Amino acid sequence: MSERFIRQLEELHVELITLGSLCEKAISLSAKAIQGEGGKTLIAKIFDTEKEIDAQEREVENLCMSLLLHQHPVAGDLRSISAALKMISDMERIGDQAADIADLSRHLDPKSFPQDSIDIRTMAEDTVRMVTESIDAFVKGDLKLCRQVIEDDDKVDDAFNEIKEKLAEYINDGKPDAGSGLDLLMAAKYFERIGDHAVNIAEWVEYSITGEHRNSGNTQK
Amino acid sequence: MNIVTAEIRRNERVLSRKIFKYMMMVSLVITAVGLALVIGILYHHFENQLTDQLRKEVSYIESGVLAQGTDYLKNVGNVGDRITYVDKDGTVIYDSEADVEKMDNHSQRKEIREAEVTGEGEAVRVSSTLSEKNIYYAKKLADGSVLRVSATQSSVATLVSRLIRSLLGVFVLMIILSLVFSSRLSGKVVEPLNNLDLEHPEENQIYAEVEPLLSRIYRQNRQISAQLESARRQQKEFSIITENMQEGLLVIDRYTMILSVNSSVERLLKTKGLKTGESIYALNRSEGFRSVVESVLTGNHENRILPLGGCEVQVIANPVVHKNKTEGAVILLVDVTEKVEREQLRREFSANVSHELKTPLTSISGFAEIMQDGFVQEEDIKAFAGRIYKEAQRLIHLVGDVIKISQLDEGEIPYRWEKLDLYSLVHDIFGTLHDAAEKQQVHLYMEGGSISLETVPPIMEEVLYNLCDNAIKYNKKDGEVAVYLKNQEDTVSVTVKDTGIGIPEEDQERIFERFYRVDKSHSKEIGGTGLGLSIVKHGVIFLGGELKLNSKTGTGTEIQVVFPKEHKEKKKQVE
Repeated sequence: MSERFIRQLEELHVELITLGSLCEKAISLSAKAIQGEGGKTLIAKIFDTEKEIDAQEREVENLCMSLLLHQHPVAGDLRSISAALKMISDMERIGDQAADIADLSRHLDPKSFPQDSIDIRTMAEDTVRMVTESIDAFVKGDLKLCRQVIEDDDKVDDAFNEIKEKLAEYINDGKPDAGSGLDLLMAAKYFERIGDHAVNIAEWVEYSITGEHRNSGNTQK
Repeated sequence: MNIVTAEIRRNERVLSRKIFKYMMMVSLVITAVGLALVIGILYHHFENQLTDQLRKEVSYIESGVLAQGTDYLKNVGNVGDRITYVDKDGTVIYDSEADVEKMDNHSQRKEIREAEVTGEGEAVRVSSTLSEKNIYYAKKLADGSVLRVSATQSSVATLVSRLIRSLLGVFVLMIILSLVFSSRLSGKVVEPLNNLDLEHPEENQIYAEVEPLLSRIYRQNRQISAQLESARRQQKEFSIITENMQEGLLVIDRYTMILSVNSSVERLLKTKGLKTGESIYALNRSEGFRSVVESVLTGNHENRILPLGGCEVQVIANPVVHKNKTEGAVILLVDVTEKVEREQLRREFSANVSHELKTPLTSISGFAEIMQDGFVQEEDIKAFAGRIYKEAQRLIHLVGDVIKISQLDEGEIPYRWEKLDLYSLVHDIFGTLHDAAEKQQVHLYMEGGSISLETVPPIMEEVLYNLCDNAIKYNKKDGEVAVYLKNQEDTVSVTVKDTGIGIPEEDQERIFERFYRVDKSHSKEIGGTGLGLSIVKHGVIFLGGELKLNSKTGTGTEIQVVFPKEHKEKKKQVE
């Protein structure tokens, strides 16, 4: 294997970590935004981060393509490069959805909802943790952590369902702020989707380590 | 294709094959030459034998011819060899195989001429077909005529063609034998080379030709191991130095890959399983840290305090520049959590001190101002002065406490270790506090006997006084304060227990801080400077003792101080 190839693989790893940490930043900022903290500067920061993520995604994609074209990787290397290609699209989606949440939070006052029953804070924190853990799993090549993220997704899914029901009740009760309720539901849905993306990332990490993807055997799931 | 040629090329370089090849060649050449020589020698031998045979034949016939002439020859008939009888002048008189009439004069033939001169002659003539060779033997008879006998000998080619089978057999046998021996021998020659112990080249007993090579390997081995050893030692020294550093040390290349890392980094960043050759971002990928790394790799020095792994970490990063290019960076991580916290405490302390000083001063200034303006009636002046005096006393008290605490802090109190009876000390303190206790309606108890301890009396008094004072101040009406003195084997313990308001759990850690008050709103009513427990803590540390707190809100507080009987000064003296 040529020196240059090894160097490029390392570079890919570093770039992916950078992209991952940008995602972490975006999602943790938007978790703050949806709780009504930070105000306009925070939202602007999230949009900037999202742009950064897009640029970084393109960079990593180019790097992957150049590796595939020039180095003809095989076996484990090919796996990690193709996993990287899949991961970056999930990461990019996380960035987009973090920006969407930031957008929603502009018109949303979370304090107008009963905090204890509609617990978007815990859900946001769980999602942020999932993203962090999935990036951690990638950085450390930690299979256990991958599985942890995949399991944690159920928690976020449940949280979304709960918030949905509570919001339905809330709107049914004829409370004045139905529009905000829907906005909050959207935000919750975005968090739920971000959780799914974190699971995807974890699955690709698992694939790049073991060579087996969870959904490859049972596509008819 | 390439692989095949490479394989062939490799085979050519195998020593055993080469030896085998040469041995085969040698044995083939020797076999062939040997066989050819044998054939040649045999052929020559046959020729000689044939000539001898002819000579004998001539001597048999000679007498007959002399007696009976041509008739004898005719009677003898065909004996297998050709017999020719030539007259003196060269005319053929008789020939056993050819017609005499057609034969020309033989006087010029080599063997005849020789015979006429020397008495006998020999000649060898190859026939035109080349596959046969005629050998002639001529002898001059007594009457001057010449008798000649000739025989045909097959040539080498014919001989070989006749012998070809057995020759081939011999040849094949030779080849097989040389094959076997060559391969055996070449294997045997190479075997010791293959079994060379290169780890210990000096121990090999092998060909003299290889000896210089081996001794050179031996020397190089020693050199390499010496170099390895020194490299290992340096590495070890380096790692001992870095492993014993409190600070985290990281060396990275310009691609952010870790070249060297010590275990303190693991502790500081709360990560596990650090490896060199990984990206530094695998340790921590927080934005601040990344920007430090990025900036240092562009050649800037960085010194920032970042929250990493739950601590405040000072990150000092220096680029490694070689030929105007940044080749990497050395990063030093220092845990400054305590420093940051101390800074915070110091700021709080200054704020508190100013506040505590300002309150009584404001009162004093207020009273004085009213008095100055003459708004106070003559009979009230006494009361006002009393208030001013009280506030001033409070100030003096406060400043005194602050001085005491800083002296304890700096350890610059002039002190003498003396024997002191704790029982009588507590008794005296109870005496001093008697009035205050009565005012609060608190009962004082003491348990235990006289215990003599070598200590610094003013500090011990300060500690116990403050403990008892607090126990009374923060008590309930009709409460109790009990002091238990216990004399243990190596230690003396003093427990001050009250039945007071107790300290909430969340405040228990902080009550020893300067100016910390659990109930901030009532501090003025209770009085005191907020420094009491802080003085207790510093005093106990100064005396080398330990402090235990056990408190429950509503039921009371129990503070136990344990002092060693043998204090540090005494230990030093013994040593």
